[in-house]
Amino acid sequence: MTTEPNGRPGRSRARTLADELRAGTDQELATLLRLRPDLLNPVPGDLTQLVARLSSRASALRALERLDAFTLQVAEALAAAPDGTPSTVLRDLLAGPARGVKPHPGAEPVDRSAVLAALPGALAALRERALVWGPDSALRLVIAVREALAPTATAPDGTGLGPTLSEATLGMSPARLQELVHGAGLPGTPDPVTAVAALTELLTDRERCAALLAGAPPAALGVLEKLVWGPPTGTVPDATRPVTAEQARSPIEWLLARGLLLPSGPGTVVLPRELALHLRGGRSHRLVEPGPPPLVPGAERDPQAVDNAAAGQAHTAVQTVEELLELWGLQPPPVLRAGGLGVRDLKRTATALDRTEPETAFWLEIAYGAGLLAPDGEAGEVWAPTPAYDQWLQQPTAERWTALVGSWLAATRVAGLVGSVDGKGKARPALGPDLDRVLAPTTRRAVLSLLATLPPGGTADADALLPVLRWHRPLRGGATGPDGRDLRTRLTGFTLTEAELLGVTGRGALGSAGRALLAGRDPVPVLTPLLPEPLDQVILQPDLTAIAPGPLLTPLAHALALCADVESKGGATVYRFSPDSVRRALDAGRTAAELHGFLAQHSRTAVPQPLAYLIDDVARRHGVLRVGAASAYLRCDDPALLSEVLADRRAAELRLRLLAPTVLAAQALPDTVLSVLRAMGYAPAAESAEGDLLITRPDAHRTPPRTPPVPVADGPAAPDEVLLGAAVKAIRAGDHAATAQRRQAVPGPAAARQLPRTAAADTLAALQTAVLLGERMWIGYVNAEGLATQRVIDPVKVEGGFVTAFDHHAEKVTTFALHRITGVAELAGD
Amino acid sequence: MSCLIVQSDKTLLLEIDHPMAADCRRAIAPFAELERAPEHVHTYRVTPLGLWNARAAGHDAEQVVDALVTYSRYPVPHALLVDVADTMARYGRLQLLKHPTHGLVLTTTDRPVLEEVLKSKKIAPLVGARVEPDTVVVHPSERGQIKQVLLKLGWPAEDHAGYVDGEAHPIHLEEDGWQLRPYQKHAVEGFWHGGSGVVVLPCGAGKTLVGAAAMAEAKSTTLILVTNTVSARQWKHELVKRTSLTEDEIGEYSGTRKEIRPVTIATYQVMTTKRKGVYSHLELFDARNWGLVVYDEVHLLPAPVFKFTADLQARRRLGLTATLVREDGREGDVFSLIGPKRFDAPWKEIEAQGYIAPADCCEVRVTLSDSERLAYATAEPEERYRFCSTTVTKRRVVEALVKKHQGDQTLIIGQYIDQLDELGEVLGAPVIKGETSNLQREKLFDAFRSKEINVLVVSKVANFSIDLPEATVAIQVSGTFGSRQEEAQRLGRVLRPKADGHAAHFYSVVARDTVDQDFAAHRQRFLAEQGYAYRIIDADDV
Repeated sequence: MTTEPNGRPGRSRARTLADELRAGTDQELATLLRLRPDLLNPVPGDLTQLVARLSSRASALRALERLDAFTLQVAEALAAAPDGTPSTVLRDLLAGPARGVKPHPGAEPVDRSAVLAALPGALAALRERALVWGPDSALRLVIAVREALAPTATAPDGTGLGPTLSEATLGMSPARLQELVHGAGLPGTPDPVTAVAALTELLTDRERCAALLAGAPPAALGVLEKLVWGPPTGTVPDATRPVTAEQARSPIEWLLARGLLLPSGPGTVVLPRELALHLRGGRSHRLVEPGPPPLVPGAERDPQAVDNAAAGQAHTAVQTVEELLELWGLQPPPVLRAGGLGVRDLKRTATALDRTEPETAFWLEIAYGAGLLAPDGEAGEVWAPTPAYDQWLQQPTAERWTALVGSWLAATRVAGLVGSVDGKGKARPALGPDLDRVLAPTTRRAVLSLLATLPPGGTADADALLPVLRWHRPLRGGATGPDGRDLRTRLTGFTLTEAELLGVTGRGALGSAGRALLAGRDPVPVLTPLLPEPLDQVILQPDLTAIAPGPLLTPLAHALALCADVESKGGATVYRFSPDSVRRALDAGRTAAELHGFLAQHSRTAVPQPLAYLIDDVARRHGVLRVGAASAYLRCDDPALLSEVLADRRAAELRLRLLAPTVLAAQALPDTVLSVLRAMGYAPAAESAEGDLLITRPDAHRTPPRTPPVPVADGPAAPDEVLLGAAVKAIRAGDHAATAQRRQAVPGPAAARQLPRTAAADTLAALQTAVLLGERMWIGYVNAEGLATQRVIDPVKVEGGFVTAFDHHAEKVTTFALHRITGVAELAGD
Repeated sequence: MSCLIVQSDKTLLLEIDHPMAADCRRAIAPFAELERAPEHVHTYRVTPLGLWNARAAGHDAEQVVDALVTYSRYPVPHALLVDVADTMARYGRLQLLKHPTHGLVLTTTDRPVLEEVLKSKKIAPLVGARVEPDTVVVHPSERGQIKQVLLKLGWPAEDHAGYVDGEAHPIHLEEDGWQLRPYQKHAVEGFWHGGSGVVVLPCGAGKTLVGAAAMAEAKSTTLILVTNTVSARQWKHELVKRTSLTEDEIGEYSGTRKEIRPVTIATYQVMTTKRKGVYSHLELFDARNWGLVVYDEVHLLPAPVFKFTADLQARRRLGLTATLVREDGREGDVFSLIGPKRFDAPWKEIEAQGYIAPADCCEVRVTLSDSERLAYATAEPEERYRFCSTTVTKRRVVEALVKKHQGDQTLIIGQYIDQLDELGEVLGAPVIKGETSNLQREKLFDAFRSKEINVLVVSKVANFSIDLPEATVAIQVSGTFGSRQEEAQRLGRVLRPKADGHAAHFYSVVARDTVDQDFAAHRQRFLAEQGYAYRIIDADDV
């Protein structure tokens, strides 16, 4: 495409963007739809509809946001130039005229060859997205883009240019215009249009303009110098005073009298674009960035050390999540009414994990994002591990890590925002709402991809990464936070910290597992050999500690954690046996003999005597006191009588049990016991009794099956090839139908008892006319269920793809989607 | 596979059976405190104090990081390395110097740090005029105080103000028929090189000789602070025997005698005696121009002595102790006022070299009788420990143990006088307690040394510094609750190497299922952490 100065033959003849698309290939259409997937929602009926949609401001802005800095500058330069600018002019705007013009001293030097090399690519990118159309000899910007980017007096853009002379002189009186013409030393003109044209011509003529400025007082040139690179507006008292060249006293007045500065409001003046371009030496941008700034690498690390550190941290990450969820499985914290986790629960969890609160919040979000943690959805809702957690536990460490990091990469939830203040001045809770940022996944990937461009072991800090990130998506910085940094800056910081915590990076450099994951390869085979081998043995010491000199196999770790307390964690784990911990194991149903056997089996050394003694000593006392639950008791000094009651078949429903010769326990309420005994012919007396014993064993909580939170989509999902193909086909077909059969545009009502059919463009035009004239229209409408109906409506307005109208059939005001209207017809009776 | 594991709580686990363990220990000892030394895996802890100790001894962060990274089996958490570097960088930003015109000054290499500490309300009264942007005058009398406060603020000062030489006095060791042991020599060298500091050696490893050797290096008048009078006499005895000092050159400054000689031995007790609300014996510190101050049993240094010591910063100070563990947690004050740890060695290592006797530690559990259990259950909480640790059942076990070790020199150590009197009566052994006169004590100790008597019952007055060379069995019947350093001291009673090289026995008699058992567990944990494998047996098995 770049080899032909005029693009494809069809392009030169195209009158409209729709025509150009029509002449283009299916492949080009598919590319457009892939790059701007919002156009597919829903699939447009024909090319006219497609163009209408892609020309909407929202869609155009969305496309602009996804441009890199240079492509955006190209678009900005085009917007500053008149419509139909040839690419050679565009080139000179960006790179400065080839020769003969001295560049402005304030402009950054520009690498002309780099700009020339990058320009075709940037133009192609704009064309692919249908932001620019027309042949290279007359480039056209889509109107919405021009409106969004064109410099105006009120909204200066990236170029820092002001409005054109003709825009700035709108509404100026003809007399005043003649004064300006006169002031600029030009002969009078017959009307305002020619006056503006003469002035514009003067400013765009390099030599005459230079001659005019040569006569300016130095202070006036100083004023221009201040405005030249933008912002192009300045504040002066009484900008609209009609000063003539003869009356001019001050430098501002000198400029105002000649139309070199124009009033843009009662107290502001603006530098017209033509003059600014003249002063700039023809350049649209002070700094043209044809390529991304180079990434400044930080310290070099040994790749082996990086991999080791990253793998160590990866292991820690998996362990931490497991530890966290084990903790919450036993002590699930409540869900706040507004969602999320209370500050105190976060603090408590952080203390239990021996982590800082922000770090704890991060692990919580990781577990939540990976679907391992969720609210259980019951009354008195609590946070608890999901069944997916139990499955996750069964996997090897490397796979568990991959699951965590995979969900982290795609997540829109940003843990770093926990604790920051929201719009209402309240701190955002962990796991709470309002933590989703659509920018997060793209920023994460961009940061890591940049790190991946460095050689193994290379590091780069946020300061080095940000300029490059900014170049790639200048308009996607996100909102500026209270600390004055934009969201992207903060997300970059978060990403670097979190990647280190997860072991995606080690000592600031991307690890090989992280590299594999980014490249879309399976990181498990890369990571597995780097992880410490799980052990099945511990070292038992006489000071009643057990040391696991590395990670333990999960069942062993669980068994050990049951009978000993964890004292220190890290590469190794130190467990301490105490009477309490041994009793816990006995409570859980282990016997002393089992514990002895377990320790002997897993100890690398002999079991120390004090430890063996401790287990026996605790076991000796364990269970000597027995506790049970009974609803009522029977006591009697005569054991024979109690045996009699116990033996009686009628007392079976009381479920009596002999606790001692003179005491029976019953599983029925005292009232029942009393009535049953009385029915049996005894005369029992009730005792005032306090305190039924009830014992419930704490059980690990699990939620019902839960799905992980779906990342908030940054716009519609990228369409796959099948959808694209189908869409292109549909559009083509619709378009063909609309253009080939040019039937009567507005058939009379008597034409048939069938739905009116008109082309989409005609429908739109007819409805807009009807709104203007207040006419009643007859339309065919396909409702959401696909049922075709006929309506008689009084259109009120046509906007954003919808018609608001009074529907005579429903007798109320309704909105109709334009694309569902099959056609319109005027009503004969009118 | 290397031998060191770095934990996230900054403890270091060293597998001592590993071939590289000895090298690793040497690499990490300068900056990590040995916390536990049980059989297989030793635990070291990296603390700010330890890191500053290392800085004071001339190590830098690079060496520390290098040691960790070299020996660690798993990747060392990056945050920990950063923390080590940060912490070590804090030491030495502030220095105490002797200024030619302004006297003692505090200077900084990093002005914001000086600004920060000067803002502290605790520092303000200790400093004078700011003579230069980076220098501020310190009142010479506040040298110790300011070091203490700066340590608390996290900016420990490096003390380069030097020492006064003190009044010279010729002292040298008389090594006839004996020699300083290698580790004692290292200890003295470490101390002398560092200027001031603490030497940590197990009980019975010859700390007194380290003191004597330090005096021989200083060759100046010396003030020795010890725990009690008996200990003072023993110091005197040892100094006369091992050095060129004569009886007349050594003075005793205690409750009974107030002698000030070139070498003066004073007790903590007399130093902390108050008369009419003032410490009346403080002038001792200024009585002579001491060139060296020796603190015996530094872990027992009473709080007021810390205060006096703060004023002695211009003199060389040597602290001696078996353990830096202080039940009151004032290790930081020891660091800032006496000095950093200059030498330590694990007990087991010295035992392996044969300088202290191997000990067999044994806990004997007695079961209370039913009536005793009932009485225990209904006792007031504050009486419970006394009740269970003095129970009659213990007496029979003690009798059995004494009988088992008949002929061995046996010490019975307890807390409660009634119990001791009773035991003395039953066993027919003399009892030494607080009210026993010093004369009587020495007489009994002499008799015990000469094996005229085999069994001696002692109260906690004998916890420290009585040299009973031939005690081979110690039976502990009650103690000061869970005090770990008392346990260390008592074990030390039997660790003097035996003439025939046989093992010492250390018994704790403990009442089962009572607080006695809980306290004993706490005390024994200390033993286990020092590497002494102990056994637990039932009273019936004795």
